[in-house]
Amino acid sequence: MTRLDATMNSLALLANATPEMRIELLESRLSEALAEIAELRARDALKTQFLANISHDLRTPLTAVITHAEILRDGILGDLTPRQLESVRGIISGGRQLLTQVGEILTYARGAANQLTLVNSRFAIREVLEQVSSLNQSLLKKKRLTLWVEADPELPRVTADREKITHVVGNLIGNAIEFTPAGGRVWLRATRAQNEPVEAILVEVGDSGVGIAPEHHDLIFREFAQVDSTPSRPHHGTGLGLTIARKLVELHGGRIWLESQLGTGSRFFFTVPVEQPE
Amino acid sequence: MPASRPSHILIVEDNQLVIDALTIVFDASGRRVVGARSIAEALAMTDTDPAALVLLDLGLPDGDGLSLIGPLRGAGCMVVALTGDDDPGKRQRCLDAGCLDVLVKPVAVKKLMSLAEQWIDRRPD
Repeated sequence: MTRLDATMNSLALLANATPEMRIELLESRLSEALAEIAELRARDALKTQFLANISHDLRTPLTAVITHAEILRDGILGDLTPRQLESVRGIISGGRQLLTQVGEILTYARGAANQLTLVNSRFAIREVLEQVSSLNQSLLKKKRLTLWVEADPELPRVTADREKITHVVGNLIGNAIEFTPAGGRVWLRATRAQNEPVEAILVEVGDSGVGIAPEHHDLIFREFAQVDSTPSRPHHGTGLGLTIARKLVELHGGRIWLESQLGTGSRFFFTVPVEQPE
Repeated sequence: MPASRPSHILIVEDNQLVIDALTIVFDASGRRVVGARSIAEALAMTDTDPAALVLLDLGLPDGDGLSLIGPLRGAGCMVVALTGDDDPGKRQRCLDAGCLDVLVKPVAVKKLMSLAEQWIDRRPD
């Protein structure tokens, strides 16, 4: 019997039932539904754990592939011809891309299983913006994009997990670069957040790129979501980048959102509280 | 320096492909390399022939590599953890247990070669 049949049967029974019988029937349906929810939750947790395990296990053979290819690239076993070198470099960069994506899945799975913890230190957000900017210089140059970094040196330092905040900014700027056509502009800005419940820094990552339609604004923070999810879509990736970014921001007690229209670029914002609760 | 002072490297890692790759790397710098694929194997090797430097993977088939750090340090080996992921909590636990450093795999081979030589050269008498 399908769930719909069961519901229809219950409704038919209900129509002729005494009030006592109705209550009994509804109570039994309720306890069935609760049991089903508990089972689905348990299965979801199992799947998340599987995802964490498998992505962890995938890294070891990948490490072997990359290390062997680097042995060839670095001439440890003798010099390669320029064409051979080019091919080996392809193996390394493909391997590293795969490693990054597997790492993303692992971080996501840990976040979903509440296994991420903050390792806090005190630092200036400006240092993170400068670090991310310098890491992306070659990519920006390749796409002929200009990048501005703007942060008031007087901003208070924050107590936060520097690596995780760097990951968030890196993810947002990566998207900005990917979705902005050549010749465009990208910017990073840190200011004091207004109207937040606690003292916080507001980070903005903006671009003059293709923009995101308002109906997709909620979708893009959802796990595995891509605005275009067809196999031939022009932009690839795990679809987890923004889900992870949101998780990491929320872990700090901050929030993340965007302002964008199709064709007018995008501005992503997130807040980082200056102090973390004990 | 006494002639018997160990100068070889022990790689504790459950994946043979990774042991093979690292063996090629250290062979090139003239170091003797041995591989162990479990905690038990690593302990047995350390008993008979302790290494100067141990590169230690943490996820081993018979337990957590963290538990090896104490016995290896006790046998006079320098220990560097090579981990598959950059979990900062794990990093701190390795350092607390006596690791010289914690590196996230894959480490660029040239960097690993030069780091290993530095560690072995600078070990305390």
